[in-house]
Amino acid sequence: MSADKLMGGTNLRARVYPRTQCRVTPGGAEVRRVAVVTEPVAKVGKMAENTYNIRPAFQHRFKTEIVKGKINNVLKEELSNKSYDPEEIPNMTRKIAEAIKTEVKECAFERYKLVVQVVIGEQRGEGVKMAARCFWDADTDNFAQEVYVNDSLFCVAAAFGCYYY
Amino acid sequence: MRSSKGKTKDDTWKSEELLKHIKAAQGDHTDDNDKKSREKKRHKDEASTGSSDSREHRHRERERDKERERERDKDRVRNKGKERDGDRHKEREHEKVPKKVKSEERDKEKKQEKEREKHKNRDRDKEKDREGELDCSADQRARNKDKERNSNTERPTNRGHESERHRDKDKERDKKKERDKLQEKAKEKDEIGDQRSKHRQRKDKVSNCASENLDLPKDDKNEEKERKHRERKDKEGRSTENSEESKEKKRRSSEVKDEDHDRRYKERKEHGPRDGHREKRPKERKEPGQEGRVEETEKKRRERKDKESKEDEKKHRYKDIKVGALELTDREQGHREKKGREKKEDRERKHKVKKGKEEKERQGDYNEEQSGKKKKERRSVQEVPNERRPKGSTVEQVACQEKPTESLSEESTSGLQSTWRSSWIGLNDDDALVEGEEIAMDSQSTIESSNYEDDFEDYEDDFEDDECEDEEVEQEKEEMPARQRAEIEEIKKAISAENEQIRATQTRSNRKTYEEEPKRDFEISQTSGPSRGTFIDFVAAKQREISSKVASKQKKRSVELLRLIDLDFSVTFSMLDLPPLNEYDVYIKNFGRTNTKQAFVQCNEDNVDRESQTDELDTVEKWTQHPGEGSLVCGGVNVSDASSSVATNVDSRRLTNFLKSACQVIAVLLEEDQAEYQASQNIQSKTASLSVSDGCSQLNTNLPFLHGRKVLCLRFSQVQRQTLLSVHSLPKEPGVAQLASNYIICVWNIWEPSAPQKVLVCESEVQCCCFGPGNAISVFAGTVDGSVIAWDLREHSIIHYSLQIGGQEWILRNPTFSTDGVLAAVNHSCAVKAVDPVSSAYFDNHGAGLSLLASQEGSSGLSFQLASLDESGLLNLWVVVELQKADLAGSLTDLGLIPGGKIKLIHSSSINVNSFFPRNLMQLGPPQTLSIRFLPSDPNHFFIGTDIGLVSHGTRHGLQTAPKLYKPQMNSVRPVQVTCIDFCHFGKTMFLVGCSDGTIRLHSVATDHPILQWNESTQGRPIQTVLWALTRPGMFFVLDESSHIYVWDLLQNDSKPVAEESLQLDRITTIAILGDPEKPSASSGLMLAKQSGAIEIQYLKKQWSEPHLNELETLHYILQKTI
Repeated sequence: MSADKLMGGTNLRARVYPRTQCRVTPGGAEVRRVAVVTEPVAKVGKMAENTYNIRPAFQHRFKTEIVKGKINNVLKEELSNKSYDPEEIPNMTRKIAEAIKTEVKECAFERYKLVVQVVIGEQRGEGVKMAARCFWDADTDNFAQEVYVNDSLFCVAAAFGCYYY
Repeated sequence: MRSSKGKTKDDTWKSEELLKHIKAAQGDHTDDNDKKSREKKRHKDEASTGSSDSREHRHRERERDKERERERDKDRVRNKGKERDGDRHKEREHEKVPKKVKSEERDKEKKQEKEREKHKNRDRDKEKDREGELDCSADQRARNKDKERNSNTERPTNRGHESERHRDKDKERDKKKERDKLQEKAKEKDEIGDQRSKHRQRKDKVSNCASENLDLPKDDKNEEKERKHRERKDKEGRSTENSEESKEKKRRSSEVKDEDHDRRYKERKEHGPRDGHREKRPKERKEPGQEGRVEETEKKRRERKDKESKEDEKKHRYKDIKVGALELTDREQGHREKKGREKKEDRERKHKVKKGKEEKERQGDYNEEQSGKKKKERRSVQEVPNERRPKGSTVEQVACQEKPTESLSEESTSGLQSTWRSSWIGLNDDDALVEGEEIAMDSQSTIESSNYEDDFEDYEDDFEDDECEDEEVEQEKEEMPARQRAEIEEIKKAISAENEQIRATQTRSNRKTYEEEPKRDFEISQTSGPSRGTFIDFVAAKQREISSKVASKQKKRSVELLRLIDLDFSVTFSMLDLPPLNEYDVYIKNFGRTNTKQAFVQCNEDNVDRESQTDELDTVEKWTQHPGEGSLVCGGVNVSDASSSVATNVDSRRLTNFLKSACQVIAVLLEEDQAEYQASQNIQSKTASLSVSDGCSQLNTNLPFLHGRKVLCLRFSQVQRQTLLSVHSLPKEPGVAQLASNYIICVWNIWEPSAPQKVLVCESEVQCCCFGPGNAISVFAGTVDGSVIAWDLREHSIIHYSLQIGGQEWILRNPTFSTDGVLAAVNHSCAVKAVDPVSSAYFDNHGAGLSLLASQEGSSGLSFQLASLDESGLLNLWVVVELQKADLAGSLTDLGLIPGGKIKLIHSSSINVNSFFPRNLMQLGPPQTLSIRFLPSDPNHFFIGTDIGLVSHGTRHGLQTAPKLYKPQMNSVRPVQVTCIDFCHFGKTMFLVGCSDGTIRLHSVATDHPILQWNESTQGRPIQTVLWALTRPGMFFVLDESSHIYVWDLLQNDSKPVAEESLQLDRITTIAILGDPEKPSASSGLMLAKQSGAIEIQYLKKQWSEPHLNELETLHYILQKTI
């Protein structure tokens, strides 16, 4: 079988994208949600070509702790001393998502498709429950998630890495 | 046109085979070559047989028009049919041979040559070259044919083996052979027919024309018209037909160029027909007319796609649209192949009707015939051209002349494509097998589809013909032209209608293809036939194509990868769980301050009604006594006093202490008052009986229970100098019956002489007694029977026996603890001669314990050692332990303890004093030990008086220190009892020893011999007691047995006493010294116990009591001088 049989890197999980549900008890708080998806990158600035690898090398694995730290940094940087402003928050959400994406990209998780999801909600005392469920290969795929809470808002940022076989 | 359009039978079944093969190959890609080839062979066989059979079948069907619908069923019973067909064939052949012969003979050799050229894939070029030359050299041509046959009929030979399995086929073959044999004459004709059947329809038509020309000259014209019409049509809408045709040519050329590919190609083709037969044909045959339209539309779409495919042919496989289309084309292929075959057959049947229809049937058997009779055929082939050439007809020549021009033009137009295609095929051959096959198939399919397209058109024509035929099976040929014209018209209409339809169906069909896509996925990837430019949206198609291509790629990849990868639903990650704030939190959040918490909230919960007393309270003052000793324990006055309320605040303990001490003082004062009163009243008030004293007082021993008891011992407390113990012996006449057998110890306070403080009773004779070292709250005594007895003076009177004696109640205290019979193992077994507390230096240095309060406080820590010495020389050391808690029920373990008692003795150690004596002394038997004194400055050292005139020096622990013995000045060992030992209270290194022989020795601790010894001071009367004065260091008192008291003052006179008193009236039994060395100015005196039981206090004169200046130094000086 020739090599080009395997043409076309396959994201087996086109339907795998993490399904996040955010339930807010009624009370009028707003929740803004933004998800950013990157294309799998073999090396920085290079699209992933097809390989025979179906497992990432260890140094390229999606490492939760590192990503967590990055997310945390971004959240602290962006959200410290911020209060919830319905005008500003959509942009903020997007900005954070992009920032996280960029940060995580720098980690050089090769052949990982990244999905960054940021949810910012107003804190007015309502209960919020958020959960994610993924249909993926638990061997290769992983996610990192951080929560930032201050008086007026809460922010949940999650980065999912799906290995691009 | 037709000639090029037409397709050989070989080709058709090649394509079928190809399809089959592809399917098989797709079933298992990695098949072995052997297996493949085997399969291919089989396929070939089956395909050829099947096709031929089916063809034959169809013959019958046409004869039985209505059975056409049920062809599938008949396919199953093909075998049976074959035989019948075979029979029929025979018959037909027999019937039609003559006609054929005629028609065939009419065919021109030249035309046949052309046909062969076109038909024969490999040999065509050669034959073309030879065309002119080979006219005469029939052998060569025959050889060429043989080659061709060999190449084409590899399958038939193989099938030979297969056919053995299938008897039907064998039979058929046999029959055919027979037939062939019979028809040897007609071989030429057959051969021609066979070859022609392989050739394109055009050729057929040409042959038709030829035959028609022969039979019916009009047909020729019709044919011409029709051809022209088609050309027109082609030019109008289907310019791409050229490409189809050209493709076929290309294919041929490629076959010529690439034999390998050709072979594969054929093999592949062989698969096709059977599948087509079985799968698709039946369905589609049901509605031929509709199918026709569909096919038309499909055709056009295919053509369009073909154009696209030319743009990007290498990616055929992944074009879903095409895949869908291919599916259709597949079906159509099968369908068309059959139909084409049918058409051919029909056509040929027509021809046969005209010429002899068996030709067509024999086409199916052609290979077999060839395989069976190669040699014969060769011969016949050689013959045929020879025969035919001369018989060329002009009409056919015209047709042939036309054909080349057309074909040439077509070839020229499609020249580029053909070359490209061939090269492309070559490339693909170099590529992976599968791809190559697929692609080849693609190309083949396009070709086929194009061919079928043509076939279809023909078929439509033929369909009408069929109908006509069905109606008038063997009708006159004169009717044909008219009918054909009508058909042509119809075809025109149909085509135009179809063109219209294409627009409408285009989108729909596309959709359809998408729907069909999944079914087909990777089984077949093909592209379809030539393209037509009219209704094609290239951009959209391209996008679709690209997207579908990508999708299919990804899908394929994913299918492959998914086998290796496990996807699973991970657990649900809880990303955020922010509990809703409760009301309080919300309140604080909104209104509170940061980092503060409201701890308490005012609400009305605790706002409750309570009753309260508002009326004035009635108060009555009561008093109560606890413990209630009298009948009146409580009482009250109605007067409320402020002072009484104040008194309640007094610290009861302090009050108690105060009261105790105050009571004593008051008691003393009262006593003194009383004494004064008595003295003033009573003449009995004694004057000083002693010369050294200036006054005297008496303790009231005139008590009923003390009456008649001799005082055995007097002992002052070391700490509380006013506290005195007096031991009373058994009375001579029992005064109090209850106490008759009891020895009594009275605790006196000399300032309260009227009555003893405490009365202690003991059953056995008390030999000695003492107070505890720190205070006067405990009394210890040693008895004659060897027990040591302890009293706790603090005990409450409740636990003791109280006795009403003489109108007064006395508490008679039994011993708190007695070792009597309890500690038998360690207890003394003979009379205890002395008990002495082992006092630490602290107690000795302690200031006069006159402070009652201080002594009270000191009483708390009651724990010290007690030494008891018996006659046998056993010195027991006891630890006096005060229990924390009294147990009124008595103790199970401490059997010597009185119930409720708190002091007990624990045996600490035993020292055998005799071990201190030298051996030579022990020879006479162990000496009796009589008294013991501890060195006041160091309680480790003790001094024991013996009955041999020696004082032994021992230590409780540690090494023995010299001197071991303190001896008299001369003849050391005598039977002389050392009656008493007394240490000087000043300096504490000197002690006096009184002996029973009347000698008094003054010893220093450091030397064994006495400093001074007075032998005759008492005139030999035994010394009973020697006592140092407490206030003056140089003064001591001596009592002898004859009741003489000698007062010594060493400062005045160190050789004889300074004073001597004798009380003979009431003999003095024992004396004790009252006084306090710390307070010389305080009163000091001599306690004199009289034989009558009276106890007197003789207060010493100032002269004797007050110390002189530097008396101690003077004493030392004197003593040193004497030494």
